Amino acid sequence: MKPTMSPQSQAAQTISRNMKLVSHNELAGFGGIGEGINMQVAKDGRRILWLAHESAPKNFTGVDVTDPKNPKVVVQTDLPHEGVRSNSLDVVGDIMAVAYQTKKVGDKPAGMDLFDISTPEKPKLISHFDASGPHSRGAHCVWFVDGEYVHLTSGSGDFEPTHPNDFQFYRIIDVRNPSKPKEVGRWHYPGTHKGDKEAPPPRHPRFDGGYRPHNINVYPERPDRAYMAYLDGGAVILDISDKANPKMVTNWKYSPPFNGFCHTVMPLFGRDLLIVTDECTKDDGIDWPKLGFVVNASVETNLVPVSTLPLPPVESFAKRGGRYGAHNLHENLPGPASFRSNTLVVGTFFNGGVRAFDTSNPYQPQEVGYFVPGAPKLSPKGAVQINDVWVDEKGLVYAVDRFGGGLYVIEMTV
Amino acid sequence: MADVLAGRFPVSIITGFLGSGKTTLINKLLKRPDMNRVAVIVNELGEQAIDNDLVEVSSEQMMLLNNGCLCCVLRGDLQETLRDLFVKRRNGDIIDFDRVIIETTGLADPAPVMQTLMTDDMLQAHYRMDCVVTLADAVNGLEQLETMQEPVKQAALADRIVITKSDIAGEETTAKLEARLRSLNPQAPIKRAVNGEIDLAFLIDVGLRDMKGKLEDIERWMGEPDEHGEHHRHDATVKSFCLRFDEPMTWAAFSQTMEVLGALRGSDMLRVKGLVNVAEHKGPMVVQGVQHLFHPPVELAAWPSADHSTRIVFITRKIPRETVANLFAAIGAVTATA
Repeated sequence: MKPTMSPQSQAAQTISRNMKLVSHNELAGFGGIGEGINMQVAKDGRRILWLAHESAPKNFTGVDVTDPKNPKVVVQTDLPHEGVRSNSLDVVGDIMAVAYQTKKVGDKPAGMDLFDISTPEKPKLISHFDASGPHSRGAHCVWFVDGEYVHLTSGSGDFEPTHPNDFQFYRIIDVRNPSKPKEVGRWHYPGTHKGDKEAPPPRHPRFDGGYRPHNINVYPERPDRAYMAYLDGGAVILDISDKANPKMVTNWKYSPPFNGFCHTVMPLFGRDLLIVTDECTKDDGIDWPKLGFVVNASVETNLVPVSTLPLPPVESFAKRGGRYGAHNLHENLPGPASFRSNTLVVGTFFNGGVRAFDTSNPYQPQEVGYFVPGAPKLSPKGAVQINDVWVDEKGLVYAVDRFGGGLYVIEMTV
Repeated sequence: MADVLAGRFPVSIITGFLGSGKTTLINKLLKRPDMNRVAVIVNELGEQAIDNDLVEVSSEQMMLLNNGCLCCVLRGDLQETLRDLFVKRRNGDIIDFDRVIIETTGLADPAPVMQTLMTDDMLQAHYRMDCVVTLADAVNGLEQLETMQEPVKQAALADRIVITKSDIAGEETTAKLEARLRSLNPQAPIKRAVNGEIDLAFLIDVGLRDMKGKLEDIERWMGEPDEHGEHHRHDATVKSFCLRFDEPMTWAAFSQTMEVLGALRGSDMLRVKGLVNVAEHKGPMVVQGVQHLFHPPVELAAWPSADHSTRIVFITRKIPRETVANLFAAIGAVTATA
């Protein structure tokens, strides 16, 4: 039997399994969200979902999701100019860290802001951590879960890369005094900094995504480890027991033959497994395959992939519009409103929507649910581009579109 | 605990005697506004075919109806068709259907269709049996039941029976047919389609939709208690009875008894459904079988009421109640109380 629908009508329809839409909010017309989502349980009991925007003009949006059927925007802030994006944020208690990345090196603001969000309607700037410089575009990602340190993907004023694509590295920022954030440690991929004794790493022959960290995950279960996705450098685990001197424990470099842009390395504690996702960065399936790998990490120095998260065939999705492939995961963050599971993995796949996998058998992960919204109104890509996801402790899924679709609140029945 | 029933797509089997109006019923079903995401599997597109306007037809006999439903002509076997539908749905190549209706031919034995959902691992994981609806034509039904085997089995296996054309046949004939059908299958509620209008709520969401085990859901699925008892004539061939056990039993007691019955009299075990109180399990085990095949049991989250007794409905061909009760006593050392 052949498909009876054109790619356009395929992209127009919502498809789902074990996931049901609870509500949808276009975020006051600014529905393009990046890859920063975190939920604050405010002192008055309200549940505020904080979202970092994909690009200017908006900085971040706070949505009251206390009643998930009726999400309400409580605050939406602006960026100073079109040449900067926020993209990433994290929340601990009433403090929120927001990353700023500029389009051009040397531009400002580049770095990180800390906000007091104790009154969600009125975020108050506590401090700005400046990471600008002649070779810096500022910060792309924050990881902030313990209230003490921000693990930042960033450039800095004193860092000159050996290749222009390698402009960010790992910086550990002590924010115990949030008014005066200061760097206490850093690490970069060997050979990416001018003056390194190592030779610069080889460029990817087809898609030079660069050697920069994307997500850097540090969990209370293993405060001595940073799980880092280093784009074309693959998965990296660092020993950060001495924050001033991080040391590489292992590096699983799998591109080529794969197409680079390693995005997230998430440990499944208690199971000696990692979920490693790529980011699809090209439309129309050009950089396929972009996958989520299940990796055996029982011998930390010898990471072995054992399976991939099963996805629908690329032929069915590649031509629907925009990107199709792996991107963000719900990262089992600590915090009062975060879902944690060492078997159920929820990820986003651009026009493949948000998808849930049962990894109980790491050799044969099963897809147990998905939600692919129909193309949002005026979608520039003609299809939804689900970019990031947060799952709350009750199992509600908050997925966001990269362009105009905004926020989708989804009930999972797995 | 994951609810293994909640995510599965309900499958209804519409079966019925020749000329009993299966296509008419399906057409009525598809006209309901909430039935706009149904995948219908038909055997052929005859003159009586689905009368919805077709909006897109593929060369492969799969088509979209203008209400959004999908109509697909069975090619090869049902197993492949259901697998293909699931995969295409996941890929977004077809509509995001939330229900499947299978129309059998008038002469079909519904048992193999039901068994398809029990034997294939993939289908089992993604679909669940909702309801077998058997249509009986009041004008010709009695004669068909006397002269052919298939209508008898269709009636015996049904969860719901719909009598059609009662307005043409008249009250006396219709009442006779109804009594005959009740003797074949006392558990299946029977309704008449008046002037072609059928109460559709009667036909859908009959099977268990989740593991919550709500009383009304269980009662709806189990069907009517056979309270008519001796007051109405039981069929000489098709036997229907309910066994109750007040004490919990081991899973081995139930499964081994069923294995012996299935091995020796599988083709005469038309349908079994019920709740089993398995020792040391919190909720009841839902069991259902068609002839020698059983669906993997599903444990519900809780008992629907204070009554925790095992109750199993049997519809058999010439296997009397005593035989099954004795087997339970001999193999499982459990005694039926009613």
